[in-house]
Amino acid sequence: MMAGQLDYDPSNILVVRNLKKYFPIKGGMMNRVIGQVKAVDGVTFHLKRGTTMGLVGESGCGKTTTGRTILRLAGEKTEGDVLFNGREVYDLTKAELRAARTKMQIIFQDPFSSLSPRLPVGEIIGEAVREHNLIPQAEYEDYLDKVMDECGLQPFHKTRYPHEFSGGQRQRICIARALALNPQFVVCDEPVSALDVSIQAQIINLLKKLQEQRSLSYLFISHDLSVVEHISDSVGVMYLGSLVEYGDKKDIFAHPLHPYTQALFSAIPMPDPNARMNRIVLEGSIPSPANPPTGCKFHTRCKYCTEKCKTEPPVQKEVEKGHFVVCHLYD
Amino acid sequence: MSDHNSYEEKDTQKNDQIKTEEYSLNDDRRVRTLSPGALVIRRFLRNRVAVTGLIILAVMFVFSFIGGALTPYKEDQLFYRSDFQKKQYAGVKENTELRYVTVSKKSFPSVAQAKFVMARKKGSEGEFSVKGVNYSFKEEGDGFFTIYGDGELAAFATYDIISGSTSDTELPFELQYEIEKAVNAGGGTFELNQETYTAGEDGAVTKDGVEVAYASRYIVQPIMGDVFLTRSFKEELTSAIAEGSNEFAFTDEDGTTAEYTITHDAATESWKVMQQVETKVFDTYSSPSKAHPLGTDRNGMDMLTRLMYGGRVSLYIGFIVVFIETLLGVIMGGISGYCGGWVDNLIMRIVDIFYCIPSMPIIIILGAAMDAMRIDPQIRMIYLMLILGFLGWPGIARLVRGQILSLREQEFMTATEATGIRASRRIFRHLIPNVIPQLIVTMTMSLGSTIITEATLSFLGLGVKFPFASWGNIINDVNDTFVLMNYWFIWIPAGVCLLATVLAFNLVGDGLRDAFDPKMKR
Repeated sequence: MMAGQLDYDPSNILVVRNLKKYFPIKGGMMNRVIGQVKAVDGVTFHLKRGTTMGLVGESGCGKTTTGRTILRLAGEKTEGDVLFNGREVYDLTKAELRAARTKMQIIFQDPFSSLSPRLPVGEIIGEAVREHNLIPQAEYEDYLDKVMDECGLQPFHKTRYPHEFSGGQRQRICIARALALNPQFVVCDEPVSALDVSIQAQIINLLKKLQEQRSLSYLFISHDLSVVEHISDSVGVMYLGSLVEYGDKKDIFAHPLHPYTQALFSAIPMPDPNARMNRIVLEGSIPSPANPPTGCKFHTRCKYCTEKCKTEPPVQKEVEKGHFVVCHLYD
Repeated sequence: MSDHNSYEEKDTQKNDQIKTEEYSLNDDRRVRTLSPGALVIRRFLRNRVAVTGLIILAVMFVFSFIGGALTPYKEDQLFYRSDFQKKQYAGVKENTELRYVTVSKKSFPSVAQAKFVMARKKGSEGEFSVKGVNYSFKEEGDGFFTIYGDGELAAFATYDIISGSTSDTELPFELQYEIEKAVNAGGGTFELNQETYTAGEDGAVTKDGVEVAYASRYIVQPIMGDVFLTRSFKEELTSAIAEGSNEFAFTDEDGTTAEYTITHDAATESWKVMQQVETKVFDTYSSPSKAHPLGTDRNGMDMLTRLMYGGRVSLYIGFIVVFIETLLGVIMGGISGYCGGWVDNLIMRIVDIFYCIPSMPIIIILGAAMDAMRIDPQIRMIYLMLILGFLGWPGIARLVRGQILSLREQEFMTATEATGIRASRRIFRHLIPNVIPQLIVTMTMSLGSTIITEATLSFLGLGVKFPFASWGNIINDVNDTFVLMNYWFIWIPAGVCLLATVLAFNLVGDGLRDAFDPKMKR
């Protein structure tokens, strides 16, 4: 991807350009491909070093797939570029990819299924460290203790097994596993949605603390807007596999531009019972990603829908500085 | 001394440290850590039924493997018991017909014999003439007549049978006459041709201490064609008959003593001599005794020993077959599940084909083929294991494939990929350990069913063959209803062993499944 390297800005740890990931639908007599689920269908954004980008959207809009496709965990991409530190992730050889794995990590949504039930916690956290020979053998135990301590785990937890831990502790183990490799970039795939609110706060604060200590970059995937508002520096809003709006957190939360973002943000519950909610209620339901609407994907539910929206797909435009939107309203 | 003290000091210091490190009541470190394996064992041990199964299995193992080593007998050691067999040996008849011995060159035709018999009835002396020859006779002793033709000695008639000691001994008339005279007189010596003969009371005639002839009123004939009755035997026999005894013992030249019984048949005035032979016969179907706690089987082998060795064979076959099954199943299922795509498709179709094969007929046909090829029983056992193993893997392959497919989608597998752990480690450290619980359960269960299959085949005579024992071919004896009804010790112990083992394997399998799955509440 020569083009990617040409305009490489070292302050960007991650550049994603028009990323697409389609899953084939097989069926019929000969198990042929009869269609495609367009899980990720044109996502473009970039992530500055040491910052957090929140990725929001309703369930099934392709947030998780985006995260995994960036990390090359969902097989081959369909189209687009993923530049990590200026290098195309999908062009890396096997050995290079293995080395790059230490630089980019993922924290999963479900802390129960993401820990191997038959390995002690110390092994879960440290296995990859030894695998990549990141730490000399002699310092390994100390290093492990240090990482665990940073993530709020006790050294004696090393010999325990995942089933002995609560959800919050498990999520700390997941975080420790990701951070033991000393990555630069972490995809946090809804890391707190399986936890109750008090634990959510602990984990979020832990993530923030670790970010400060290690100048990590996060891609924080969530459907919880308040969490995203708390942790993110920039925010991307996804609808049906596409990134419809993306920009600085303050800009987006202060004046969302895309009609979908406006509807989404109007649904944030207010802690004040007397506050007048000005909800924008969307008509209909989210269309199938296997058969997305033509033109603007949101036109079936958009109250500003025009004829142009139905036929012509909009392109991403920078409406303000660093505030991108994909909508014909801002042409 | 000072060294000692310093050591002691160190020790006490250590103890102090340990004391200060005692955890407070609410310290997490007080909680004992149990690995998932230890938890499974704990849950398993709480399951009383499963533990019973385990104990039964342990007993079976000790019985089969240690018992087999301790038993004084071998697997195919035959036992004999001695049995007395009565064999018809000889027949004895008292001679009731007069025998005529004629002087050489003279004749005493049968017409004369008839006339003599008639004349004899009239008195002990008499005369008669035949064809112009005048005969006179005189009774010299009991059943001994001398007959003169025209005044010269022509013949003598007697009830005694005079025969030479050896078949080629020639007995001229004079000698026979002298013998008869002496014997009839109750023994004595006589001289003939300057040689001295001695006749005994029993009818034996010796010359210079060597027996040459024998006179007896009894006809002794062997009943079996290949038996030659020696003179001394005949003597013993006739004297026994003369004494009126019912049995006698006789030691032949080889020194073997046999007992004989004599039965008198009044109707035919004959005696039957039965030889009592002590023969060794296989100790078949002997009842439980001290030497054989479970008796012996139809071949005369110790039942308990056979049972132990049979258990060994059954368990061996079970384990090896399940090992082969599992090895093939894990490899095929693992490849299928991990690779996916056309490889998965191909392997699963092979599995489908294997499922379609009716295994019992195949095994029976192969067993019959091996019979026809006269394959050595030991090699046959190996073939049997291979066949059962090759027919049994598809089930395990399917299980492993399914498990791997579901595990592959688990997030911890994605996590290993994300952390860049190499494929071999991913498979062996993360995938396989999570398949093992189901695998162990299936293996335990299929151990039971394999043992049943093996027993079935052996029962049908197509599995483990003689001389090797297996619980199946031990029970095979029962295809004789008589055995079923009369010799409980042949089939009940083997049946109980089989039942207990298979049941125990199933109980343990069930227990393991429950133990591996903590959500399963009983």
